[in-house]
Amino acid sequence: MMEALSYMAVVIREPWLILLVAAGTCAGIYVGAIPGLSGTMAVSLLVSFTFGWETHSALAVMIGVFVGSVFGGSRSAILLNIPGAPAAVATALDGYQLAKQGRAGEAMGLATSQSVIGTLLGVFALAVCAPVVAGVARNFHSIDYLMLSLMGLMMVGSLCGRSVKFGLIAGCIGIFLGCVGVDGQTAVKRFTFDIVYLNSGVDYVVAMIGLFGASEALSQITDMKSQPVKQKVDKIIPSWKESAQYLPLTIKSSVIGVLVGALPGAGGDIAALLSYDQAKRSVKKPSAPFGQGAVEGIIAPESANNAAIGGAFIPMLTMGIPGDAVTAVLISALTIQGLRPGPNLINETPDLFWLIVAALLLASIFLLVFGLTGIKAFTKIVEIPKGILMPTILILSVIGAYAIRNSLYDIFWMFGFGLIGYFLKRFNYPIAPIVLGVILTKLCEENYRRGVMLEGSIPGMLASIFTSPISIILCALLVFLFITQTEFYKNWKRKRERNRASV
Amino acid sequence: MKKMIAAALALCMALSLAACSGGGEPSKSGSGSNGGSTSQPAPAGTYPTQNVNGIVQWGAGGGTDSLMRPLAALAEQQLGKSIVIQNMTGATGSVATQYVYDANTDGYNLLMGAENPALYDVLEISQLTYDNFDCVYLIGDEVVGIIVSKDSKYASFTEIVDAALAAPNSVKLSTTGTGGLPWEVGAFITDITGATFNQIPYDSDASAKTAVMSGECDFTVCKVQSGIEDYKAGDIKFLCLLSEAPVEIMPEVPLITAEYPDFSKYLPWGPFYGIFVKEGTDASITETLGSAFKAVGTDPSYQEVLANFNINFLGYTGSEAADYITSWRENTVNALKNSGALS
Repeated sequence: MMEALSYMAVVIREPWLILLVAAGTCAGIYVGAIPGLSGTMAVSLLVSFTFGWETHSALAVMIGVFVGSVFGGSRSAILLNIPGAPAAVATALDGYQLAKQGRAGEAMGLATSQSVIGTLLGVFALAVCAPVVAGVARNFHSIDYLMLSLMGLMMVGSLCGRSVKFGLIAGCIGIFLGCVGVDGQTAVKRFTFDIVYLNSGVDYVVAMIGLFGASEALSQITDMKSQPVKQKVDKIIPSWKESAQYLPLTIKSSVIGVLVGALPGAGGDIAALLSYDQAKRSVKKPSAPFGQGAVEGIIAPESANNAAIGGAFIPMLTMGIPGDAVTAVLISALTIQGLRPGPNLINETPDLFWLIVAALLLASIFLLVFGLTGIKAFTKIVEIPKGILMPTILILSVIGAYAIRNSLYDIFWMFGFGLIGYFLKRFNYPIAPIVLGVILTKLCEENYRRGVMLEGSIPGMLASIFTSPISIILCALLVFLFITQTEFYKNWKRKRERNRASV
Repeated sequence: MKKMIAAALALCMALSLAACSGGGEPSKSGSGSNGGSTSQPAPAGTYPTQNVNGIVQWGAGGGTDSLMRPLAALAEQQLGKSIVIQNMTGATGSVATQYVYDANTDGYNLLMGAENPALYDVLEISQLTYDNFDCVYLIGDEVVGIIVSKDSKYASFTEIVDAALAAPNSVKLSTTGTGGLPWEVGAFITDITGATFNQIPYDSDASAKTAVMSGECDFTVCKVQSGIEDYKAGDIKFLCLLSEAPVEIMPEVPLITAEYPDFSKYLPWGPFYGIFVKEGTDASITETLGSAFKAVGTDPSYQEVLANFNINFLGYTGSEAADYITSWRENTVNALKNSGALS
């Protein structure tokens, strides 16, 4: 313990590290807020930028950017209904509704405090129970990933709004789009029509920018009469009482965040979606119905996606296996710095492990500072007249789509998705299930095929569930989630409650 | 007033974005991929007059990327212009390959790649191969080995082969998909020993390795670079190495030729890394680039990077590089055909 503290005190001996974390966090928030610019991109730019720096400084600024960018995605999700990153898709569902009610300031304040608590819980998990979590992550088999992705796909039910049918259609569009490209397992081209660009599939960030950003701008432009909502800015900083009241939900969501974040095949985006789903099912009396401005709909995904940061570091530091895209880049940064990420990293360079923990803690403090101070100015964005705001959103969408891999095609795709999104919205189709489908198809399909190949048959695959405790738990959870949604169960429960009431 | 502030804020967001992408992404002007008319092949002696784009086939953080970034950082000083590294991933690297091929032959777009394009045509990934590019600098290649988990029941490579011969298609080999490294080596093994395996594809070499460590698969083929730390920690065992000579950092691991001498016809074999320009690029440009990379390739700091990654340094340019790639391709395609992996 004392040893850990003395390693972490490196930030006091080298005080410029604090400044670097602060600068990184601040820059990260803006990078994250702009759709198309991602933390992965920013951190990989920093790899070459910090090539000549010494390891501590390089890591400090990268971790700052990482934490800031995960949080930053919520800003544009709440203000403009355009998630800055896939991990903020769930935040947009209720966050934007709150902004429409003039409560954007409150929503951003809440997103900030929850992200900070989520980050802290993630760091706690990293510092205290890394070996345990790593053990779970390492024993996560193909079949377990399959069940996780099925749980994710079941969320279509949570996201579909008014009509299940429309939600399913949107989900199917997403799954179809997720199938496009060269199949990674057999190198067979699917729906590519011999266009090389399509070989790498549909980028889900492009889909997200188009479906949320461009389509939002289009539908607002066709409805120019409605005035921007006047925002209340008196209640921005969430009270201690409020935070305490929601703490159980925060902790539950953060645990999901840490575990999903620690899985090499799933990151903050899936963690945020799963915890939103979990909140929707488990919160008995939300402050407003989910999807119509429930604060719980911000708390769950925001704490989960930031908790996933600590989670993602666990396999990276204990096994040298990245937990998500950003930690994959960090692994290369460490390698370039002459370190050897792998199972020996913590034993050989304990100072590095604790430096990362310290930098994450610092980053969460700065997140609180930068997150809460800018809110009043940010709320003004919603009050900008539509004639200025909507073209700006379109420009940002174009730049964001292009920035992902400097491809003109991506801009066309983005506009295509924008049009699809516009028409779907007009006819009351939900669009979040499309993004969900695109994100989850690969995870679901590849693990299903792998599961069947490993056991040689589908019955064999199903039987293999009962060989591992993780699989059994996941399977039970999946069955439970499914049954509790059926009419049969609901009727039974209603009857039981009535009986109890009559007794 | 408030509206002014809001507008200014929006502008700030847009500007910071522009600044971000301006700093990070290579400038497109003159690269010719979407204009074409702006750039003529530069006259000899003046190249380079602008920054050079280095298009890396694989993601930031991958093995290829980590070898290219430090080399580019050193070579910039030789060239006098920046080399702006950009990762363009997708479809086994063929998206980047196509991108560089679509650009002009002015030497401002470098393809920084691994061995994969050498086999694109036979794997039907793309019609382009390294035949359509000139090799500027061949950095080196690396040794691969066969690994099992620490608790594996297989104590030697021969035991794996015997088990696979006794029950064909039952021993599980985790791969990175058709065309990936374990798939290729699996074909070599089938060719030489006749053993066939149940090949399970994963999405990266890290997850293929994890599948072996978790016991989901029985063995896989992995680069010394990516297995060394787990080997040192005792989480995996290297059963043998596909190399003609023992590897310095793990001298105790036997060579595959000790058990199956016939493997020597495929050796030396391993993934390689190089920097390429589109075919038809002015020879003087290729030479300028080649000598810049050659000058820094032997730099002690870069040699240290190579040693960290356990890369066998080659440092070839010109015809030496071209010959290496031609014979690599011939050997590999032969093996794949003999094993029946390719028809």
